Amino acid sequence: MSGTLGRLVAKGVCKSFGALPVLDGIDLDVSAGRTLALLGPSGCGKSTLLRVMAGFESFEAGTVTVDGEPVTGPSPTRGMVAQAGTLFPWLTVRQNVGFGPRERGDSDVATTVADLLEVTGLSDFAGALPRQLSGGMRQRAAIAQVLANQPPLLLLDEPFGALDAQTRLRMHEWVRGLLAQRPTTTVLVTHDVDEALLLGDQLGLLSARPAKVVALRDVPFGSDRGRHTLAEPDFVSLKASVLDEVLEAS
Amino acid sequence: MSDTLAGVAAPMGVVVTPATAARRGRRRPRRLLGLIVPVLVLVAWQLAWQWNLRPRTILPSPHEVLTAADAFFFGERVVGLSGVVYFKGAGWSHLATSLSRCGQAWAIAVAVGIVLGLGLGLSKWVADLLDPFTNALRAVPLFAWLPLASVWYGINPTSGKIIIFIGALWPVVVATTDSVARVPAAQIETARMLGTPRTRLWRRVYLPSALPEIVTGLRLSLTLAWTCVIIAELGGTTDGVGAMMTAAREAGATEQIIVGIFVFAVIGYLADRTLRLVSRRFVSWSAT
Repeated sequence: MSGTLGRLVAKGVCKSFGALPVLDGIDLDVSAGRTLALLGPSGCGKSTLLRVMAGFESFEAGTVTVDGEPVTGPSPTRGMVAQAGTLFPWLTVRQNVGFGPRERGDSDVATTVADLLEVTGLSDFAGALPRQLSGGMRQRAAIAQVLANQPPLLLLDEPFGALDAQTRLRMHEWVRGLLAQRPTTTVLVTHDVDEALLLGDQLGLLSARPAKVVALRDVPFGSDRGRHTLAEPDFVSLKASVLDEVLEAS
Repeated sequence: MSDTLAGVAAPMGVVVTPATAARRGRRRPRRLLGLIVPVLVLVAWQLAWQWNLRPRTILPSPHEVLTAADAFFFGERVVGLSGVVYFKGAGWSHLATSLSRCGQAWAIAVAVGIVLGLGLGLSKWVADLLDPFTNALRAVPLFAWLPLASVWYGINPTSGKIIIFIGALWPVVVATTDSVARVPAAQIETARMLGTPRTRLWRRVYLPSALPEIVTGLRLSLTLAWTCVIIAELGGTTDGVGAMMTAAREAGATEQIIVGIFVFAVIGYLADRTLRLVSRRFVSWSAT
């Protein structure tokens, strides 16, 4: 089943920092409930594109719309999680997860928060402060914090980049399960080809700066992807060709 | 060869460097270490008195000061004339007066300072408007306000409180302004993304994020406020530890002056400690 909300459309998005062009006419169309993984050489403007979608950055030309609504600024309908995490260090995990709903005037957040803590495996750490959590737990909490607002669109900016390989793999499996349970349109920016192929329904390849979408393809694996997928011949050969493309693009 | 550099390998693979060894056993020796200087000062003082290095009228013995302190706090209180600065038995009342003066002025300085600091740190407009003014005012020495305050309000407790207020204000303003300006942009973006309206950001993000540094400013401010009490009580009042010291100077009672100095030292130290303990509860999230 796929969600009915959260179709993301970008048309001709251009952005530059002063004289430095960063995004050069980005066109994307992500259907509701699908996950788009964006790969590209480092420094190509992947994160900037995500920040544009989140509404943190203005852009000079083009349009970004979610379900037809143009993006003009940050909004609870577009939740973004960055590599460094976005938890407030002075709030407990429970307070962090409940922050969004509470700010939006929802006083009865206990059930939502308890559910999300359950899903993220953080129930036992509800009263802990972010600095008391491990890196993986912190990122799960950050994702829970964003999901508490039930955003139709989830933006992940190398959310597992700071984690060790094993934890990252576990997080990949966890995110897959999560997105299967709660279909949410997701844009994942990463430089990790494994991550892109494990999580994406679609794969977008960006060129070196200024970034353009140079290739867009469907990922041919089903929803039961996990660590076993990494060893499948199809996966290995696809990974090799994608790697080639990424290296060519840079 | 290298063990002299890298430290001595202890059993169970634990490397004990001189630094870790010192850290382990530091609590008790450290505390005792802190007593060395006071004891040396006390001994030097006693010897200076015994050898008559200074006339005994201006250098009392430690014992005389202790006796005076005992009389100050525990002596039988004489009650009577107004306009007289009492010493014997008046210790607690003087102390209470000084503490309340300091506390009132400090509390106002904290409230004004945090509001002013938030304004300066959060709004470019407010900063452009007020920065030159506040920076110039800050450069005025505290004592320079005293003549003006006494012309306006007379030599009385009110002008004293104004001096304490001014002295305590700037550390709060500076700490709040700086720390608010250093709040990570990512925290602001996260709050905006999660649904916090701009008008509520100061309460949800700026203030809590900046709190540890603001608290450091508050501690500095409290110490300054307490040192300003003596300036505030130089004249125009018959109550307060400072008033007692001024009267003692006029009477040539050096041991009473020294009692006053000890009172300031002990209370200042205790106030800072207390504030540190209390504040630790609120800013425990920032590992310090």
